[in-house]
Amino acid sequence: MSDGMLRMTVNGRKVAKSAAGRYRLIDFLREELFLTGTKEGCGAGECGTCSVFVDGKLVKSCLMPASKAEGAVIETVEGLASGNDLTPVQRAFHKTGASQCGYCIPGMVMAATSTLRENPDADIEEIKERMGGNICRCTGYTKILEAVELARDILNGKAAPLALEPEPIGESFIGTNVRRIDAPSKVTGKLRYAGDMVFPNMLHMQVLRSPHAHARIVSIDTSAAEALEGVESIITAADVPGTDGFGVFVHDQPIMARDKVRYVGEGIAAVSAESEEIARKALSLIKVEYELLPAVFDAEEAMKEGAVVLHDYAPTNIVKHIPVRKGDIEKGFAEADLVFENTYTTQQVEHAYLEPEAGIGYVDHDGVVTVISPSQNITHHRHMLAGILDLPINKVRCIMSPVGGGFGGKEDMIYQGMLALAAMKTGRPVRLVYTREESITTTAKRHPSRVTLKMGIKNDGTITAVQFKMISDGGAYGMSTEGVMRKAAILSVGPYEYENLQVDTIGVYTNNTPSGAFRTFGGMQAQFATESHLDILAEKLGLDPFEIRRKNMMKAGSLTHTRQRLDTAAIGEVLDVAESFSRWEKGAPTSRGATRGDLGGPDTRQPCTLGARFRKPADNNKKQEVA
Amino acid sequence: MLTFDQYLTPDTLEEALWLWRDAPEGTRLIAGATDILPWAREGRAGDVHLPALIDVTKIQELSGYTVEGGRVRLGANVVYQDFLTDETLRRLLPCMPFCSIWFADDQIREQATLAGNLVNASPAADGTPAVLVLNGSIELARLEDGVVERRTLPVAEFIQGPGRTLMERGEIVTAVTMDALDGYGGSFEKVGHRRSLVISVACVAAVVKTDASGRNFEDVRLGLGGVGPMAVRLTDIEERLKGQPISSELIREACASAADRVASRSRVAYRRRVVPGFVEAAIEDALAHAGAPYRGEHQREIINV
Repeated sequence: MSDGMLRMTVNGRKVAKSAAGRYRLIDFLREELFLTGTKEGCGAGECGTCSVFVDGKLVKSCLMPASKAEGAVIETVEGLASGNDLTPVQRAFHKTGASQCGYCIPGMVMAATSTLRENPDADIEEIKERMGGNICRCTGYTKILEAVELARDILNGKAAPLALEPEPIGESFIGTNVRRIDAPSKVTGKLRYAGDMVFPNMLHMQVLRSPHAHARIVSIDTSAAEALEGVESIITAADVPGTDGFGVFVHDQPIMARDKVRYVGEGIAAVSAESEEIARKALSLIKVEYELLPAVFDAEEAMKEGAVVLHDYAPTNIVKHIPVRKGDIEKGFAEADLVFENTYTTQQVEHAYLEPEAGIGYVDHDGVVTVISPSQNITHHRHMLAGILDLPINKVRCIMSPVGGGFGGKEDMIYQGMLALAAMKTGRPVRLVYTREESITTTAKRHPSRVTLKMGIKNDGTITAVQFKMISDGGAYGMSTEGVMRKAAILSVGPYEYENLQVDTIGVYTNNTPSGAFRTFGGMQAQFATESHLDILAEKLGLDPFEIRRKNMMKAGSLTHTRQRLDTAAIGEVLDVAESFSRWEKGAPTSRGATRGDLGGPDTRQPCTLGARFRKPADNNKKQEVA
Repeated sequence: MLTFDQYLTPDTLEEALWLWRDAPEGTRLIAGATDILPWAREGRAGDVHLPALIDVTKIQELSGYTVEGGRVRLGANVVYQDFLTDETLRRLLPCMPFCSIWFADDQIREQATLAGNLVNASPAADGTPAVLVLNGSIELARLEDGVVERRTLPVAEFIQGPGRTLMERGEIVTAVTMDALDGYGGSFEKVGHRRSLVISVACVAAVVKTDASGRNFEDVRLGLGGVGPMAVRLTDIEERLKGQPISSELIREACASAADRVASRSRVAYRRRVVPGFVEAAIEDALAHAGAPYRGEHQREIINV
């Protein structure tokens, strides 16, 4: 039945379309029927962005060969409501502000709809359990779960339909339920992200990536791939017309590997072809000859004399060193009753936004090279592209498509150059959609860090000196590392005032996946060290952890370690609120013994247990008693 | 990316057996297909092209179940979700609902079959320890001189190692049969990185029957998976408990030896540490589900049928 016709009833409409032998149900819906509300987040059944009903049962359409759905009745997010109407579930998602980036939302709406169809009275535990196959990275789930409970109550008549209406806004927006104006487009699946966009005569791009962490490229032979029917063009670094190199601070990264590869997954050649399948086949025909080079995977190793050098311009492998000095730390340590040093490490972290990187490049009627992508920094990308493509700035345009989650990970330019170049070379629109595996293995991550922190402290909790040294693994290219080091240095030792301080943050090149921007931009790694250190000091001195912080916190009039005089400081209020909301039991960390009364409680989230759907109402008490 | 030349959907077992017998090398038999598509991706098999997929889910005689002679015979197309929604299966196969609730998620359970889970023979398969405690057997059919021949093998023998079974070329699984254990309590415990959609680091299935007083073990069956090349029955612990008065001390003492069953290549220390408490928890949950008056300290997450 390969390339035969597939017949299904989709959203009440009978369809018959030719189905290629590779099609999964998700591909059939998206590519043949343009029902792009069904998203692809992982392609492996893990995330739920592709959930659809097949003969009344919710399934993950990325796990179903399209042929399996032959003759089936399919319902997608587009089919839940007619016209511009919204279902109560969709309206509830709108009301509670459940949609943020929106990429998981069509799948979430489908899972919520399925949950309430299966059990219209599902309680919160059962809702969580039934929606367990769908992932969101923005909301923390609270608003989504609120929406499902609201929809349930509306549907079974326990709440008035008025509860779905907007709430009046009083004197302030703060504390008021304000409607997100983009929510209807997200809860209905109508919003098109870059990977949902289709242009006439569009080509599909796939990228050949390095299997080696560090190697010289001796030769690239694309001739066999170029001879394959359906391949339109193949680009490599040799095709770049201008000054190749991008990065937020130092332009050290070519749009595809030039002369050598510096990390596993670095792009080497990009194929544009009539279909994704042909493009992938072409990748297997490209021959690259490598000369392997020794590689370095640890930042401290990379800083040593004689270490492997990644970039000729940086013989020490240091991307950026930010020093901050205040007072005299030797004097401060001498005044201390206790001097304590410890090391804190954090690991590489993937952003894991639900929308994998995607984009389209084309050249318009005026010769303007245009790239549509979920870029978090289009102006900067535009400037860099003009230089790389050797075009005046008015011949380069970057259009920001909806960002299906960024968290900093879409700030650094990674693939836009390849799209622009391929569009220029072919004269046709070119689309690139990353797989989840590609997104995880090749795009920027949070900087892994190692902080060595030494503090001098008096018995009353007054900190007399701080020495803070952070070594961060920047990976193979500079990207946002300089900015992250700057921010880490500024935020390093927290909202506390120190007389004597020495801070050094150092970003280092290694052959690991490049590190880039990620929420807090270096602050998280630094705070993990500083706040952990304060807790340990409180324990050592028998002080209450809140008190040790109050003793040293910044106040109005304080001079920060970067010499800013503060007019106001809120840390005192923050500590008061945190102390009261957490029901903190006063005293040193060691004073409580084995039991603590401040853990758990009504305003903390209970862990999800499984089996909620089995529970009979009478069992609830028994459950409490047993627990 | 998985591509294929043909997608075949036979309507009868005989038709499927003919197709399967004559299929070109590389053809794969599928039911739920929930494993094969993620398999053909980067980092695993990569792009795969197959001559054909034979989808058995349209074959009526592989659907549904029957109960006969103290055994439940599940057609090969029975999906995991059925163990949650079918009252009879929940009653007769008391560990299966708990196994099922830990298996993938609602959407995948609607597609994934128990038979497929057993045939894949993953050391971490959730279904295997549960089927072992139910004394499960697997029914296979093949064509012999144009006639359908069948054979039945205990699952404990059928699975030979990671990804290895006694299934022969041309054979198709037609059913899984298991003891019908009315009056037993069942449980399933699993540890992984996430509640839904996670592969077991360790999993335990238990079924327990008490005597009329509810104070003595009458039958205990324990299966441990995810900690070695194959799931195993913990017969030494079962024998130690059978006929004995139920107490925390006895359960703890009997379960200590479970750590020695860890035979994995990775995370050995962690698994050795987690397994004894896990087996205890499984026994205690199963006792609670059997309605025994005993309440153990491990029942932190008790779920009631």
